[in-house]
Amino acid sequence: MRLTTVLRGGRYNSPVMRSGTQNTPPALEARKISRLYESSGRGVSDVSLRVAPGEVFGLMGPNGSGKSTLLRVLSTAIAPDSGSFHVGGVDGLKERRKVRARTGLMVDSPTHYDALTGRANAYFFARAYGMEKDKAKGVLAELFDYFDLTEYADDRVKTYSYGMGKKLALIEAMAHGPEVLLLDEPSLGLDYTSQLAYQNKVRELAGAGAAVLLASNQVDEVEALCGRAAFLHRGRVVAEGTPEELISSVEGVRRIVATLRNPVEYGPVAEVGGVRRVVPEGRDLVFHCEERPGIVADVVAGVVRAGGDIVNLSVRRPNLEDVFVKLTGEALRDEV
Amino acid sequence: MRFDLPDAYWKKDVALFFSRRFSLIIKMLYPIAIIVPVAASGMPAKYAAAVIGIVAIMAGTFGAGESLTIDLNDGILVRVALTPLSPYRIVFEVLAVNAVLDLVQLLPALLIVYLLHPVSIVWMLAATLAVFATLVTANCIGIFIANFTSSPADVLLYATAILFPLIYLSGFFRNQHPTGILKALRGFVPFAYTDDAMKTVFGLATTTTPLEILIYPTVICAVLAFAVCLTAPHLLSQRS
Repeated sequence: MRLTTVLRGGRYNSPVMRSGTQNTPPALEARKISRLYESSGRGVSDVSLRVAPGEVFGLMGPNGSGKSTLLRVLSTAIAPDSGSFHVGGVDGLKERRKVRARTGLMVDSPTHYDALTGRANAYFFARAYGMEKDKAKGVLAELFDYFDLTEYADDRVKTYSYGMGKKLALIEAMAHGPEVLLLDEPSLGLDYTSQLAYQNKVRELAGAGAAVLLASNQVDEVEALCGRAAFLHRGRVVAEGTPEELISSVEGVRRIVATLRNPVEYGPVAEVGGVRRVVPEGRDLVFHCEERPGIVADVVAGVVRAGGDIVNLSVRRPNLEDVFVKLTGEALRDEV
Repeated sequence: MRFDLPDAYWKKDVALFFSRRFSLIIKMLYPIAIIVPVAASGMPAKYAAAVIGIVAIMAGTFGAGESLTIDLNDGILVRVALTPLSPYRIVFEVLAVNAVLDLVQLLPALLIVYLLHPVSIVWMLAATLAVFATLVTANCIGIFIANFTSSPADVLLYATAILFPLIYLSGFFRNQHPTGILKALRGFVPFAYTDDAMKTVFGLATTTTPLEILIYPTVICAVLAFAVCLTAPHLLSQRS
């Protein structure tokens, strides 16, 4: 197994970085970034990462693991307590405005000037990033069309749905053709079609040489988009590698997903031998299990004993969420 | 010049100012509703002048202070600060555009005052500039306060604490004939020049000349504007 698990701080040691992109100067390089909030004591500690031009790098971790804090540091919103970072070779601590000009940013809860139209908001940001008038208008027209917002471009943003606001934020982040794109939970709230459109646009931008740092807990999204990914746990990078490498580290793990007609007290099922963790996801109960003969039958029996009425059952290959559970013993997404 | 597609911070503020129609009507009407009856009444000049001064101070302080704290709360100001725009320029534009828009609100009422109480063109210009200086100063105070809070309600509280002593020093109600240190301090408060100019407009002679009103508040405002722009990195930073 070539996956390198990093227990104290991050290292540039994924196979991809050693072989494929090592000689390419990174578009984004963070070295031992630490930033702890005095109020909560949470934040990030000793986080290092490199994202090459054209690479999509995933950042995963549960709420409070430090993803947004790291993105705040890398977007120059807050200064780190220690460490440094560079965007396209430009020092992010000393030349913040230059770094901002090279960076596209979508925060997790995008806000806009609600009394202005979507087009006015996007144009304002495009010009703030230094785009020429005509170019800005042209690029924005394309992006509004691409994200199916043309019809609403001249409506005030206060009439937009949450998903439309997210798409507008994506447009604002992408319009100026940044070298580095920082995206914090970009697909949350997007409908299926918009998610596909956004993923294709990210691939297109990466194909054109942009480095993308994607903070997301959407496992499918990270697996589909990212060449490499890192897990953050309590502010530290605990593993880094390609999705395939990370997933291959959990051979022998099975993921049983039971869709229930009714919610049940699932605590007793977690006591079934071989069950490592139970995570509710909507109407589903997801069991992270060891692979052993009879485990599926035991889990089903446990659910039935708990009063569960199973309407659908699937046994899936492990995914990045299982990797995180194995590494930390905690769920990637909040348990409900 | 197009405001529907703003390409600068100040144009965005102008677009927002004109986009909220009901709010715009209120903003344009309330100075008239307060000032014109005062000007048309036989109220003593010193109180009529004080009313105009107070309206200008309140419009300026709460204009910039509240809009900034609302934008800080929304997170949009921090997002704008993460563009390559200079934070100093952003704050300067906030200050300048708010002061000018406040003057736009007050100008109709002022023009009616000049119609009701005709004075020389020099005094009209001096009085208008003094009101503008008051608006700039009040906006500086609002921006300064926004450095310490992201709550519009707190702006009201802090503004009261800052404005009351300045209003006292300016001689709107008390301290009309200051001596010694109070007189010296009064000379540094732009509100005082508005008070003197408006008293003159309403027919009460003061020792302040139009030239003093043109020069001193301008210099003081320039210093205040410079100082408040220096707070930009803190003002526009992410509040944790």
